[in-house]
Amino acid sequence: MAERTLADQLGGYLPEGIEALEEHERQDLADALRDARRRQAKALAEAGEEGLRYVPALLRGAVRKAVGL
Amino acid sequence: MTENYAVSQNYEAEAEILKLARVLGVEPERLEYLARVDADDLRAFRERVTDTLFDANIAVLQRMALAARLLPGAVLAKIAEKVFGPLLCARIAGVVDVARGVDVAKRLSPRFLSEVAADLDPRRASAIISRIPLDTVLAVAAELAGREDWITLGRFVGHLPDPTVRRCLEEIDDPGLLRIAFVLDDKNRVDHVVGLLPAHRLGRVITAAGADEDLWVPALDLLNHLSAERRGTLAPMLGALPEGLRERAQATIK
Repeated sequence: MAERTLADQLGGYLPEGIEALEEHERQDLADALRDARRRQAKALAEAGEEGLRYVPALLRGAVRKAVGL
Repeated sequence: MTENYAVSQNYEAEAEILKLARVLGVEPERLEYLARVDADDLRAFRERVTDTLFDANIAVLQRMALAARLLPGAVLAKIAEKVFGPLLCARIAGVVDVARGVDVAKRLSPRFLSEVAADLDPRRASAIISRIPLDTVLAVAAELAGREDWITLGRFVGHLPDPTVRRCLEEIDDPGLLRIAFVLDDKNRVDHVVGLLPAHRLGRVITAAGADEDLWVPALDLLNHLSAERRGTLAPMLGALPEGLRERAQATIK
């Protein structure tokens, strides 16, 4: 599957100065943004599970349900 | 004027690159090619990237914020520091309810809070930021100043009440104030913030630039953003500046 372009990731809009960059530079920004999104999603998934270990046992079921785990 | 303006524009682009690199989690050197992009375009781009990242996992974050309501503040603070880390806390701060956010923030160490501050989008957590107790804000500001994180300090100025900003400014030295003013998110607020300083401090801040050539451009940029009236009060003090800076400062306040 083709990677999403920078404009695609940002909802179609790019400021003029960014639009005017070389293609490989826009691609670099697209890669950096995609990586940041992936890191964030991974960190969130891990934190949800790991965080439950600190939740008092009595509340764990309710918290698990609220978070959707 | 044109040359100063160009230097200042370039510096603003540099500051924007640092802020964008932080949002993306990359080294600023990787983004060097952005130095030729207009600072306003970089700012618009950074805000768009920030919104995209904050919105990317909004459903999960909202569920986490919902679950946070079930837990005592002390437990949440422990999870925040031990598991979530600064980045996720910064993301969740944008969706958690204000009272809960303030309650947890009060229990976190100033060092950890300063790391959260660096990743936070102040636009999304403004209501929480403005309710953090003064002592905590001062401790966090001291942490950020100690790390010379002027960018983060500059991002928060517009989201704190004036009396809090005034107290923070008392704790920051003159070169630090010049650097914060230079990277302030909203340059239109420079004159207002300077107005919070005691009368004698502005002259001292400007003359502090004489000791370090790196501070010349920030000092000239500060002069550029002051009201005509305030600039006028500085005229008698400029004679003490070293040659080179003095002429440029005098030309700026004309």
